[in-house]
Amino acid sequence: MVDYNAMTQEIRAKAKAMLENKEVKYIIGWERGANSFISRPVIIRDAGDTDRLVWNPGCVDNLTRYLVEEMQYKPKRGEEPDLGPVGIIVKPCDSKSIVELIKENIVPRERVKIIAVTNIGTVETNKLRKVLQKIPQDKRAGIDILQDDNEFIIKYDGGELKVPRPELLANKCETCVTHNPVIHDVVIGDKIEGFEADKWADLAELESMSPEERWKFWEDQISKCVRCYACRDSCSLCYCAECVFDKEKPFTWIDKTVDVSNNMFYHLVRAMHLAGRCVDCGECERVCPVNIPIRKLNRLLLKSAKDRYKIYPGMNPEDKPMFGSYDIADPDEVV
Amino acid sequence: MTGDEKAKEEFEPKIIGFLCNWCSYTGADLAGVSRLQYPSNIRIIKVMCSGRVNPQFVLKAFQEGADGVLVSGCHPGDCHYIEGNYHARRKLAMLSDILEFTGIEPERFQMSWVSASEGQKFAKIVTAFTEQVKELGPQKKLAGGEDE
Repeated sequence: MVDYNAMTQEIRAKAKAMLENKEVKYIIGWERGANSFISRPVIIRDAGDTDRLVWNPGCVDNLTRYLVEEMQYKPKRGEEPDLGPVGIIVKPCDSKSIVELIKENIVPRERVKIIAVTNIGTVETNKLRKVLQKIPQDKRAGIDILQDDNEFIIKYDGGELKVPRPELLANKCETCVTHNPVIHDVVIGDKIEGFEADKWADLAELESMSPEERWKFWEDQISKCVRCYACRDSCSLCYCAECVFDKEKPFTWIDKTVDVSNNMFYHLVRAMHLAGRCVDCGECERVCPVNIPIRKLNRLLLKSAKDRYKIYPGMNPEDKPMFGSYDIADPDEVV
Repeated sequence: MTGDEKAKEEFEPKIIGFLCNWCSYTGADLAGVSRLQYPSNIRIIKVMCSGRVNPQFVLKAFQEGADGVLVSGCHPGDCHYIEGNYHARRKLAMLSDILEFTGIEPERFQMSWVSASEGQKFAKIVTAFTEQVKELGPQKKLAGGEDE
């Protein structure tokens, strides 16, 4: 059983020490949601506030997006740039985003203090809604979600509910290969060992279909898209100052019309922009209001990169970016 | 001849060719001055290097109604910019993977290496590719709106 309480205490202590010693300007972490069991992002600037920080399976956000905003902040006229380091609490999957950001020179390593937690899995918010139906409405305040190796334990006012892991576990956690942080200054939690290698099981079904069936599947999914661009905005690696889809000069790449053609163009281009960079943190799919399986596109390219070029992003800041490098011996079958 | 066959017979695909300035475009030029016969379905866009071809260009071409896209550059090792075609190879291989995954026929997209002296090869590739795309019929998946 993972002791979330002890880990939370440890996070608070570390955060407090960092803020008191002026090691960091502020700490980006999670706090308890006001009316929700899903924790929400919070920025702690004062050592006295560190008790607000929490760590539990409901900490779903990838906070590195806030780190990117900090790094790209342009001081206003007359404002002194503050280049002090920032503290951030990350899950192992989010720590891969930081590796990628360091690799791409967006985040200088010395400007970030990483408090990393080990993690066996977070909850899927969509699945949580279904599970919560089993708990009486008036008892849903003050819910705590805990988990051990086989099940999630939802503690609520006057009882507890045990849910088998697959019923609540986030999709991305089912295929996760990094339960331990890949980059960190402080690690909190025990090292987790014995997890299985990624077998790309979620792609197998689609890959076994005929091209026409595959197109049908994607047409159905993509036609739902309202192009709210939430997937782009939540992605920690979509940090371009001016996104190609927002560009209007010398011409627009994409129409404002929401149809399969334009949506498909958007999703394919987005996937290509993230090829060899996407670390499969799952934010795009989580924030999608119409539940398009966006991760599948990214994961297909993740798999291709691994098969073709033995590249798996987010593991080592010293690696070369996939599209920024080449190997003379790359396979040549397209010609 | 049934109506279906007739439609296929009449179908002339639109093919966009991105050719690099130094090898393939010159190769196409050579095919022209040598008076080699090849289908006129290809519309050539000259780029300075095959590495300039952003996967976005290919997708945009499909979206604007192209039935096939051909990208052609210098042979590996012969790039005018030393390494441009190696970069192109990586990018476009990944693009072809994702096209296949989403059910858009990857046969509509082809990459080839044609040097400045290979007018013959260029004519051959364009002929074969045009046949291939003709066989597949009009591309309606990514194309937005009605044609013409």
